Amino acid sequence: MLSVSWWLQLKARSRSTFDGVLTLIYPMFFSTTIFMMYSQGHASSSAMVATAIGASTMSIWSSVSTTAAMSMQAERRMGTLELLVLAPRPLALLLVPLIMSMATIGVYSMIVTLLWARYVFGIVIHIADPLSFLVSLVVLVLSIAILGVVIAAASVRYRGAWALGSTLEMPVWLICGFLVAISDLPSWVRPLSWALAPTWGMSAIRAASDGRSPWADLAICVGVGAVYAVIGSLLTQRIVHAARVHATLGLT
Amino acid sequence: MNSLRIFFLGGLTSYRALFNWLSPWILIPAFLFTPLFQILLFVYIGRDAGVSDDSFFLIGNSIVNAAVPCLFAMGNTIGGERTAGTLPLLISSPAKRLPLFLGRALPAVANGFLVAVFALAAGALVLRAPIPAATWGGLALAIAVSSISCTGLGLLNAAIALRVRETAVFSNILFGLIVVFAGVNVPIGEMPAWMGVVAKCLPLTNGIQASHVLAAGGSIRDIGGSLAAELVVGGSYALLGIALLRWLEWESRRKATLDTA
Amino acid sequence: MVEPVVEVEGLARTFKIGRAFSRRSARNIEVVKGIDFTVGRGELFGLLGPNGAGKTTTIKMLITLLVPTRGTARVLGHDVVTEHHQVRRKVGYVFGGDRGLYERLSGLDNLRYFAELHGVPPREAKRRIGELLELVDLTGREKRRVEGYSRGMRQRLHIARGLLHQPEVLFLDEPSIGIDPVGARELRATVKHLVQNGTTVFLTTHYMFEADELCDRLAVITDGSIVAMGTPDDLKKRVSNGTVVEVDIFGMPDAVPDKLRDEADVRSVSVEVRGQSHVLTVHAASGTDITSKVVEHLDGCSIGRLITREPTLEDAYVELVNAR
Repeated sequence: MLSVSWWLQLKARSRSTFDGVLTLIYPMFFSTTIFMMYSQGHASSSAMVATAIGASTMSIWSSVSTTAAMSMQAERRMGTLELLVLAPRPLALLLVPLIMSMATIGVYSMIVTLLWARYVFGIVIHIADPLSFLVSLVVLVLSIAILGVVIAAASVRYRGAWALGSTLEMPVWLICGFLVAISDLPSWVRPLSWALAPTWGMSAIRAASDGRSPWADLAICVGVGAVYAVIGSLLTQRIVHAARVHATLGLT
Repeated sequence: MNSLRIFFLGGLTSYRALFNWLSPWILIPAFLFTPLFQILLFVYIGRDAGVSDDSFFLIGNSIVNAAVPCLFAMGNTIGGERTAGTLPLLISSPAKRLPLFLGRALPAVANGFLVAVFALAAGALVLRAPIPAATWGGLALAIAVSSISCTGLGLLNAAIALRVRETAVFSNILFGLIVVFAGVNVPIGEMPAWMGVVAKCLPLTNGIQASHVLAAGGSIRDIGGSLAAELVVGGSYALLGIALLRWLEWESRRKATLDTA
Repeated sequence: MVEPVVEVEGLARTFKIGRAFSRRSARNIEVVKGIDFTVGRGELFGLLGPNGAGKTTTIKMLITLLVPTRGTARVLGHDVVTEHHQVRRKVGYVFGGDRGLYERLSGLDNLRYFAELHGVPPREAKRRIGELLELVDLTGREKRRVEGYSRGMRQRLHIARGLLHQPEVLFLDEPSIGIDPVGARELRATVKHLVQNGTTVFLTTHYMFEADELCDRLAVITDGSIVAMGTPDDLKKRVSNGTVVEVDIFGMPDAVPDKLRDEADVRSVSVEVRGQSHVLTVHAASGTDITSKVVEHLDGCSIGRLITREPTLEDAYVELVNAR
């Protein structure tokens, strides 16, 4: 069911050309300005490569965060939210492929950004260990997806939660070390970063592209992610219950 | 007299009726947190890249966040008529179109102004980069002019929203373009020439430049030219927007396009 | 001679259907095919027809929302194309359904806003709003957000909105769609009251009984053309010298309606499926013994009820609409 659901959601999302275009293009505005900043600062080529990787993965989070909450809002407007809740499978399980499809689109965006970096800014990416890079990418995507599920669950209960997704877009970029090393942030932020699974995924990706071992980071990422999955699942159940009590499933 | 009432009261009512973000759960994250984080993000990137100083990014990113209400609110308060199904009622009313649509711009301008000013003040506090009291007057002026000008672009965006369903997409794209081209994070001087040309055609470019001049110790007289340029840019977009609105209404009467698009 | 308030001559409207970029599949559809009628002051005129007949398009042309492709229309002496500003000042427009109001505003705020749009001076607006809320029985609920209003309440608010600027002509487009019977009855009472007080009302509907009860004169429109016009009684007379036979049949062979149509004296035959049975309705000229012919054709079928009766306005309508 998960894979079928994921594929159908992917198709549905790809159909809306405008939304698709936006998800692909929007993070590129930010990546472009960031590349320009580093160019202006005459960054070394290795720094540019690190930036390119960070900037391109930003789009995976963008895709998930902004659309996670809006998708629930869209379901609510179409009247299908109630149907989703009524389905015999737990809602959390239904949400996963939904979010995964968005993350997949985020991956398209990542590839586009990398191409953009290559052909417009001349940044050539060399991945030292492609296999572990790929594995790290998959784990990162999953860790992002889990966060997305939590956001989507929140918007089942709270109509205004769609703004939450957009609000979290930039903080996660900053705190999870997509662009700026965590060590550069104030020390009190670091525990927050460590608590977020994507931070470890990101760190693993950097390690893989540099040729260092990513496995320790990946293990932590999976561990933290699993905790989220459990929290997410419990949360979804309680939220759906609350939504039924407070009658927010059907309101537009 | 009636036109004035439509402009002020009607504009405010439409804003309340159609701007979907008017709940505190949305306003606070969208207009208080996000701008602040955007400032922080670029300040840190700037430090990492070794370019400019904190206040450069503080100013640019504060002002650019005025664009969010200016673009999105306008898209909502005119495009929203379509969702509400009230377009036929507006068109069949005798109300003059200019105050009807321009009136909705006023709350958007005020909104943009407040967002930018808050972001600037809060950002200055968080980054411990205080802005001298003397410059606040000039900055407020520059921000106000920037908001007005950006709302002009918002008006054009809103007119498009009457015809094309995905108004949020356009608003996002316009915002992205402004972030890249308007000298928000990269000084105009450091950009390739062609980007500088595009920058001149966008709102906020001149306003941001003026603010940098003020922060560096310039006076209001020094920024007069920039502010005038800003108003010209914004005004042109506003005129285009109004022209498009009129044309859309005309076209709809001939081809029944507005209700059903 | 009553002063004409709406004069329509040869009014027609074509729409282009089809995807914007593929010229081949773009076709023109003539939704209103050249209609003529006049509405006098103080009259309650009805435009009756099935869905898709062109009623809403006609109203939209009279309201100045659409420009006719052919023909002319004048409302209160002003041409709807060239003098649309003047028309808009003097007419009111009410349509049925859920949309057309600002959900997040209260009923009162909605009324205030539209009062501004129609140039009603503020003090007068306050008074009018109070009166209208009473008229439509929404007093006490006007401060609630429209998003919480029922369909009936929205409809009543629409009517109040349409009357804010005291229009001389009120255009009502299918106002009782989706309203429960009690609500619809109250709506009809309100409309009658308006007409008694001198407002001219132009109403479109596909409910026959509503047209019968309310309208001074009616036009029946089908497929873009007016097929009959007159008072409800006039229309009934068109079929009143005739009989209607209505039969409930279980298991009617498909060929029976056509065979009946071939009979002389039969004006129209219609079949409706109701649950397990077919209801066959035959209109015939009076004085003929159509009943026995019908029974003859139905030989071998299981017949339930058989009624012979006088035609109603609904029959007139069905006949007019089905005649080709």
